[in-house]
Amino acid sequence: MPLSSEIFSFNLERHVANLDSALKDAMTIDGAIGIALVDYTSGMTLGVAGGTPEIDLTVAAAGNTDVVRAKMRTIEMLKLNDDIEDMLITLGSQYHIIRPLNGSNGKGLFLYLMLSKTRSNLALARHRLRTIEEQLEL
Amino acid sequence: MSTGDTFLPRRTSQRPDLPPPVTLPPSLAGNPSLPYPAIGTELHELRLQIPGVQGSVLGGVDGLLITHDVPSALDPDDLAAMAAATFGLGRQVSLRLGQGEFRQSTVRNQSGYFAVYAVGPQALLSVVGADAINVARLHLHAPPVAERLAKLLAST
Repeated sequence: MPLSSEIFSFNLERHVANLDSALKDAMTIDGAIGIALVDYTSGMTLGVAGGTPEIDLTVAAAGNTDVVRAKMRTIEMLKLNDDIEDMLITLGSQYHIIRPLNGSNGKGLFLYLMLSKTRSNLALARHRLRTIEEQLEL
Repeated sequence: MSTGDTFLPRRTSQRPDLPPPVTLPPSLAGNPSLPYPAIGTELHELRLQIPGVQGSVLGGVDGLLITHDVPSALDPDDLAAMAAATFGLGRQVSLRLGQGEFRQSTVRNQSGYFAVYAVGPQALLSVVGADAINVARLHLHAPPVAERLAKLLAST
């Protein structure tokens, strides 16, 4: 019978692999520049993929944590009794999609995807990100 | 069997190759020639720029207060002393592991944070944060502040 520590490390590896493969999968979305899984209670990243030498995804994660918090607080203040499905921020040359995780084990986390506006298909990217979010097991 | 063997096994200390103790110049605390207004602005800006920062303290590695920007509910002298205690632990860890200079340490409690950043070799910046603070943002923002403070301290 395996020791409990072996079971634990096995599970840990499986989870990390799942997170890594989800991030890698997201980078195959057309026009993807970078993706991050972020904890909005602290602003820290659980994982990142992509990015460029100019774009530090950990900085983006910390900054967008404030965006997510502000929107959630607003929804609460308006007593809408609803959740954010996703957020789209359109820049001159990029799309940023923020998608809070809905599963019980994803509480307090969001996915942050940066896309190049010219190389991406927004509807398809949004759909792909939803699929990735649904399949993501932590 | 000697009576000594009946005791529980004890950890025998291993002497690491410690570098010679650093001799620091006199304490920065109470030095009237420091640029206090500029330091005060840096500490104040930190509180304004990151929501959740309740206050910050600049203290020496000796635990003595240099200056602070904390509300009256917090005791800046206590915070400076606690920062030095945190630094002491961090330095010992680093000496044992051979990881170089102390950089930063964060304590997270049930309802808040206490973060300590090295400001050059002689001073420490400690920040008290609410539980809701964006701690990643603090960790991105505070090191450059500490660097600027180190320059201000070195300029005297």
